[in-house]
Amino acid sequence: MNNSRHRNTFSQLEIRQVKKRNLQSWFLSMPSLIWLTAFFAVPYLIVIIYSLLVSDIYEVKFLFTLGAYREILSGAYFKPFFLSFRLALITTLFCIILGYPVAYLIARSSEKWKNILLVLIIIPFWTNFIIRIFSWRIFLSTNGMLNEALLSMGLINQPLEIIRTDWAVIIVMVYVYLPYMILPLYSVIEKLDFTLLDAAMDLGASERKAFFKVTLPLSREGIFAGSILVFIPALGAYIIPQLMGNQNSLYIGQIITYKIKNIPRNWPVASALSLIMLIIIAVILLTGFSIYQKRKFRRMDEAR
Amino acid sequence: MKPGSLYRRLNLSAFTLVMIFLYIPILILIIFSFNNSKIVAGWKGFTLKYYLLLFQNEQIKLAFQHTVMIALTSTLVSTILGVLAALGLENKRFKGRKVLRALVYVPLIMPDILMGVSLALLFNFLRVGTGMLTVFIAHVTFCLSYTVIVIQSRLEGFDYSLVEAAMDLGAKPWLIFWKVKFPLMVPGIVAAALLAFTLSIDDFIITFFTSGRGFDTLPIYVEGAIRRGTITTINALSTLMVGFTLLLVITTKRIRKLLLN
Repeated sequence: MNNSRHRNTFSQLEIRQVKKRNLQSWFLSMPSLIWLTAFFAVPYLIVIIYSLLVSDIYEVKFLFTLGAYREILSGAYFKPFFLSFRLALITTLFCIILGYPVAYLIARSSEKWKNILLVLIIIPFWTNFIIRIFSWRIFLSTNGMLNEALLSMGLINQPLEIIRTDWAVIIVMVYVYLPYMILPLYSVIEKLDFTLLDAAMDLGASERKAFFKVTLPLSREGIFAGSILVFIPALGAYIIPQLMGNQNSLYIGQIITYKIKNIPRNWPVASALSLIMLIIIAVILLTGFSIYQKRKFRRMDEAR
Repeated sequence: MKPGSLYRRLNLSAFTLVMIFLYIPILILIIFSFNNSKIVAGWKGFTLKYYLLLFQNEQIKLAFQHTVMIALTSTLVSTILGVLAALGLENKRFKGRKVLRALVYVPLIMPDILMGVSLALLFNFLRVGTGMLTVFIAHVTFCLSYTVIVIQSRLEGFDYSLVEAAMDLGAKPWLIFWKVKFPLMVPGIVAAALLAFTLSIDDFIITFFTSGRGFDTLPIYVEGAIRRGTITTINALSTLMVGFTLLLVITTKRIRKLLLN
């Protein structure tokens, strides 16, 4: 009896402490909660509202209509969406192909080398983004260094027209997003149990077979994380296509920016296109994660 | 794996290729900033003329001031908010935790253009004229996710035995915070602030949507200069910016070493 009352008062005290702590957490989190609600969540509500308005060549009129969605459903913006999707896919693939061997090499280096190599990968990214794109323009331009070098070596007779093609866009996209693939891949490969690889090879698997049957499946997690970090931002690319590409193949990021910035403006269509992009991203993330989770569970079942 | 094996050689060549790929643009910038030629092709002799032109250019000076001002203020605010939020998130039973975490993590994977568009429309809706204030708000918004995550990740690996020891010795809670916990949080806070600073000076897209005419930061100025074709001084400017960021990184390392010792 005595004992239980004692426990009761103790838990009362505990409850009060927990409550006090929760109140404290609310106070501490409140500034960030308010800031992110006001400037991250609420703006999307404004985008929804603006997508339902009538466009003016400068701004919007506060009259509600589904005109923007009707315009989009007519199919006029199918091509830029398709191009952006293709660009994001190709960029992700090239990043995997180029990034995997690099991540693997770094992960299997000695501790001292690991740090040096990682810093070497990151240093270029301390340089301003716009300036690096500008530099690629110099390098790839028709009378640029690449063409001069290739011409003087006699490898080509005429300068290559790379700048203002989709290839120029792809090269710079891969350049910019490569570290976002290398770093997650590295952190997964580094934790791999390489004795499994040795075991496979001791059992007579060829180097290639051991890689495709052991190493690659085990680094799936890194490939997945890296692909998300590359693919999704790549979908919304604006400045790289703008500075490296041509006006015949416009990507969705360019269309949205033009409709926001250039006169005649069309904010309702820009808003609706942004929302569609947002929905596509949400669908990709959710299906990606659910497939990933299912695989994980299936593997756990198999292991059992 | 044997050192001379086919795969190792393949990896090494891929690595070399990627290194060349990563460093070509930066080398080009540095070399051509000293080239005595109006167009960026062919070597026409060494000059420092473009560096001198750079310091006479009022627009660049102004853009530089804007960039630094925005970077300093948005770093300060996003770091303070980040510290508070990270401390709030420490409490795992707290009801607002899920919402705050969602608000912190989602902006990280969204394409920048979506944040730019949504903020531009918000400021239009509120009839706030675009300029320094709107750029500041935008920069705090995208920096905040990073500062919260960096500071929080340091708190997770936190050694609570020191805090408990101070409590056992009868120290008051606020004293424990300022004398024991805060000093241990400092390296994380410094790392978060430096990350916010670099993100802020590097941002183009979100600034592009929220700055309006008359408030250029350096990336905005550079993009405009590329579009207008007035690119002679950009190489010099870029080289200085590369130097500046490298300096920043080296000092960071030094500061971190000093703090950890």
